[in-house]
Amino acid sequence: MQRMALSFPEEVLEHVFSFIRSERDRNVISLVCKSWYEIERWCRWRVFIGNCYAVSPMMVIKRFPEVRSISLKGKPHFADFNLVPEGWGGFVCPWIGAIAKAYPWLEEIRLKRMVITDESLELIARSFKNFKVLVLSSCEGFSTDGLAAIAANCRNLRELDLRESEVDDRNGHWLSHFPDSYTSLVSLNISCLGSEVSLSALERLIGRCPNLQTLRLNRAVPLDRLANLLARTPQLIEFGTGAYSSEIRPEVFSKLSGALSGCKQLRSLSGFWDVLPSYLPAIYPICSRLTSLNLSYATIQSLDLIKLVSQCHNLQRLWVLDYIEDAGLDALAVSCKDLRELRVFPSDPFALEPNVTLTEHGLVSVSEGCPKLQSVLYFCRQMSNAALITIARNRPNMTRFRLCIIEPRTPDYLTLQPLDAGFGAVVEYCKDLRRLSLSGLLTDRVFEYIGTYGKKLEMLSVAFAGDSDLGLHHILSGCDNLRKLEIRDCPFGDKALLANAAKLETMRSLWMSSCLVSYGACKLLGHKMPRLNVEVIDERGPPDSRPESCPVEKLYIYRTIAGPRLDMPDFVWTMEDDSEFRIS
Amino acid sequence: MELQLGLALPTQNPIQGLNLTNNGLECSELRRPSFCIESHRHVKNKRSFEESFEYSSKSLPLLVWNGQPNDEDDRGGKRNRNAHPANENNEEENRLVGWPPIKSCRKKKIHQQHPRFPIRNAGGMLAENGDRGSNSSYVKVKMAGVAVGRKIDLRLYSSYETLTNKLFSMFNKCQKPEEEKESFTLTYQAEEGDWLVAGDVPWQSFIDSVKRLEIVRSGVAEST
Repeated sequence: MQRMALSFPEEVLEHVFSFIRSERDRNVISLVCKSWYEIERWCRWRVFIGNCYAVSPMMVIKRFPEVRSISLKGKPHFADFNLVPEGWGGFVCPWIGAIAKAYPWLEEIRLKRMVITDESLELIARSFKNFKVLVLSSCEGFSTDGLAAIAANCRNLRELDLRESEVDDRNGHWLSHFPDSYTSLVSLNISCLGSEVSLSALERLIGRCPNLQTLRLNRAVPLDRLANLLARTPQLIEFGTGAYSSEIRPEVFSKLSGALSGCKQLRSLSGFWDVLPSYLPAIYPICSRLTSLNLSYATIQSLDLIKLVSQCHNLQRLWVLDYIEDAGLDALAVSCKDLRELRVFPSDPFALEPNVTLTEHGLVSVSEGCPKLQSVLYFCRQMSNAALITIARNRPNMTRFRLCIIEPRTPDYLTLQPLDAGFGAVVEYCKDLRRLSLSGLLTDRVFEYIGTYGKKLEMLSVAFAGDSDLGLHHILSGCDNLRKLEIRDCPFGDKALLANAAKLETMRSLWMSSCLVSYGACKLLGHKMPRLNVEVIDERGPPDSRPESCPVEKLYIYRTIAGPRLDMPDFVWTMEDDSEFRIS
Repeated sequence: MELQLGLALPTQNPIQGLNLTNNGLECSELRRPSFCIESHRHVKNKRSFEESFEYSSKSLPLLVWNGQPNDEDDRGGKRNRNAHPANENNEEENRLVGWPPIKSCRKKKIHQQHPRFPIRNAGGMLAENGDRGSNSSYVKVKMAGVAVGRKIDLRLYSSYETLTNKLFSMFNKCQKPEEEKESFTLTYQAEEGDWLVAGDVPWQSFIDSVKRLEIVRSGVAEST
């Protein structure tokens, strides 16, 4: 291999490498030999950093001098569910400061769960001459002022995506900062914004961007304006409506229906806030074209949903509230043979009694009827081992399976047994399973199955499960490809963690909250494993004010080559590797 | 306990201890070769790992900790005694934090059906949501002869007819097929607390005042 590499001129290899876009393949290439490492690093245009604290900006810049596209992720995934205290970190500021100097030709920034200020947005707007893509996914810390700076300065901006970000909405006129000469927009997602945007500015903007393909509006855009917007963008592929309700006026309906039908490329619909079922038939004519339908904010009942999905024969992705009920999922199984991804969200997760008839039957139906189904997120209130086994046997091609039985520790409702066998079947039959979320009553047995069969599992979420350290030990010692593990409220403690310390260096991160890991074990792990940052998050005060045997509230462990981070708030403590060494 | 688990912490050299194969443990799962695979695959890591452990085996507390198993047991015992009650206590409060796992933006959007947004009524005309919060659109429903009650969201219905149809289909699973709709009557408890037969006031007035629903056998309803 090495001899062959030497026989090629560098330019040739560089050209060959340029066809390889997968991050992992590029990483593997760089491990072949020193010369490949050198060639590869000079032609790496895209970098993905799954944890912004795993490496420092300067290390990335030094190794990859020619980056055009950077993706960074900040907070742990459990931050989505309010488990990470406010102010934890994930600040992108040091990164923006460093790359602004190092990469004047940077084109793309994609951030997830990070804190970005208006100052950073302004720095982006000023620094990169050919800036094209800004994706802020579940980010916070910025306002519409920062967006105005991006709009005003980034002449070549193609994509602005604010999905699920928390934006301080100061000024609905930020959209009018796009200059009149600006025409390069391809994708705009402002669905997370709370207040009204200037509709006239929006209409003008999308009217002058002939390549616009994706437009996702926010709830404040009224239904009767959609027809006008759509009339200006007949080339749209993905469209997110605003509020989908209005007074019943025949002309509103017919204009909307006509405008939707006029978008011949339309494949994806979302939005539908406050949906009024009388307006749903407006999308019937385009249903057969749709491959993606997000109705997860649409409170419409089963009968209306059945009418709708029965016409969507090419649907590949459906997100929906549990109002669809078992009957709706039966209809889906009959009509949508191309379905790959299904997410069913709860309409009233905190209700004590079920408000809809959505059970395991619906998911079993879909697993039988939809042969391509490979990704599932399903919230329900009852499940059985038999159903899980059927689902697993029906869909061995499943790669993501996330099941949330809303009441913690719910057993198989038929046998009152733990759901170990059911989830065991899922990991056994679905050989390519990469992501798994567990719920319901589970003993250590399920982790034995997961450790034995979950060889390709990359991300595992566990809550209210297991009996002892053995559970965690099975996961850590068995799942060879595990990268992210998040655990809450499980009786897992020191032994399993310490006995598998080396495993943690092969993973991106481990989150444990309300488990039984002691402060002493965290300290030990931090001392012994210099490549791990072991961070204790405890809002009760310094952990050394309690006995070492006392379990820590929250623990976040990640591998890093950058050492302890410098931006920790006062409720985070890092277990440094050398503190005792220094004293002695 | 430790031996049963097969998780005994290393005695002399932690690396050996981690490689649990030599310990003759009962638990066959522990002999899976993953440790070895991991350490071979991550040659770089292994070096630093060993280095750090070699260092520790000379002077750092991992040894001390393991060298005194009684101490360890005591600590473990104490820990568990401390941990469990704390865990239980937190649970009541914590259960609401982050569970069920729904993103906060999603919770906000679904649960705050905008009060200024219209809700449906029979005529397809607009009606202000008024002082009804989102959650108060849920009412409990019981049906005579069915033990388990349900909860429904009244915002989803536009007329007595759609509501009645839905309710009967919802409870149908528990009913004998020969029992026809006609033998039941939908009653509701109005704001003042009186039980009334549904259908006697306009739909909008009904959903403004209904507190709970009950489907009773027709004879019973007539007699009240």
